[in-house]
Amino acid sequence: MNHEALAREMRGLRDQVTGLTDTAVGTADGLLIAADTADCIEPEGLAALAAAGLGLARRTAHAAQRGTLRRTVAYGSQGVTALYAVGDSALMVVLGDEGMDLDQLHRAATGAVRRIETILTSPHKATEGV
Amino acid sequence: MSGYSLLAPALAGCGQDGFTGALRVTGTPGGTVHFRDGLVVAAESPGAPGPEALLLRSGRISAEQWAGLVEEAGGTEWPVAELVAHGHAGDATLRVVCVMALHDAVFAMSAGIVEDWRRTLGDTDPFAPVEVTETTERLLQDTARRIAAVERLPHPVHPDRERPLPVGKPENPLTPLQYDLLTHADGRSTARDLAFRTGRSVYTVTVEVARMLADELLECAPEPPPVRIRTPPAGVRPRVRERPRPPEPAPAPAPPALPETPPTPDTLPRREPGASGIADVLAPERSAAGWKWFFRLRNGSAG
Repeated sequence: MNHEALAREMRGLRDQVTGLTDTAVGTADGLLIAADTADCIEPEGLAALAAAGLGLARRTAHAAQRGTLRRTVAYGSQGVTALYAVGDSALMVVLGDEGMDLDQLHRAATGAVRRIETILTSPHKATEGV
Repeated sequence: MSGYSLLAPALAGCGQDGFTGALRVTGTPGGTVHFRDGLVVAAESPGAPGPEALLLRSGRISAEQWAGLVEEAGGTEWPVAELVAHGHAGDATLRVVCVMALHDAVFAMSAGIVEDWRRTLGDTDPFAPVEVTETTERLLQDTARRIAAVERLPHPVHPDRERPLPVGKPENPLTPLQYDLLTHADGRSTARDLAFRTGRSVYTVTVEVARMLADELLECAPEPPPVRIRTPPAGVRPRVRERPRPPEPAPAPAPPALPETPPTPDTLPRREPGASGIADVLAPERSAAGWKWFFRLRNGSAG
């Protein structure tokens, strides 16, 4: 896994989307891989919750015959949590404040998710933390 | 700050044409300006807090109270009458908040990058319009003045660029705004982010951040905090898909007490009324005589 490339994708997404505050990438079973989050957020717990939330949404979409799950978005009074499946093996959590443009996020995230999937599945040696 | 040079002619043109509709601005942060007969009635942008964020984030009203007011107002996004009726804000205050949000959104769009703009005739009513509409001339004058004021500061700051950090412990007493900014500045947040977090206009926060950088209360971190990355011990493995289990071969005679593993459902689960038995536990015990009385009453034979 190319750590520099993964960090670049996460940073790039934050720079590209106004109002995006934090991102995290985890495995499909909830283990944290990468975190670009504020100190007040506990990224390990976030990744685990995201895996559970995404799994539940996927099963709900399947049981309700709504096709393949694309994303799940939770709206709070102070912002948004968006969860994206990264292929079959991982997930991405995006946090934004109440000003974040969700359409802009979804447009930017589509490409980022595809590239992150390639990064995660490609063999590459790198150091911890970027 | 190049956005202004592209946005100004677009806004002026809408004013001159007596345009009614929305001017949608694409770029970073971009946004929308709503016109009625050539006058500006509202503007919103991801780059500036709207009226709701200004009220909620400043602590004037809690999220629970806001949800209650929205419900009371039948789901409207801007429950003006209810805010006034419950004493959360006066009518004049709310008018000022709307005007401030409008000017701030146009400032944020003008200070950012404007890629393109287009007029849309089918504009839905903006949720927080100003009562006294703005002419484009006045709005542009105000925006130009704000942009020039930010550029003239000793340490000019872009609303969406610098991510400041506090510098040590301040010696002099702080204003409430300075205190808020020092509390929330973490090296990750821009002036725009801090404006949302503190419930203040992005122009006010941008100017104050520039002053605090000049006064060395804040500093710009040379490098952003690193993205923490680690490879999971077992690598990144594909998710295990849940499939219906294949029928198991008939087992050898097994003890009947062992429960069977339920198959993974393919359809929505169906709930049987009373299946949980919770009603039997919670409901008060009723005697058969009580029900007999009810049926006698219904058939006219009570008493």
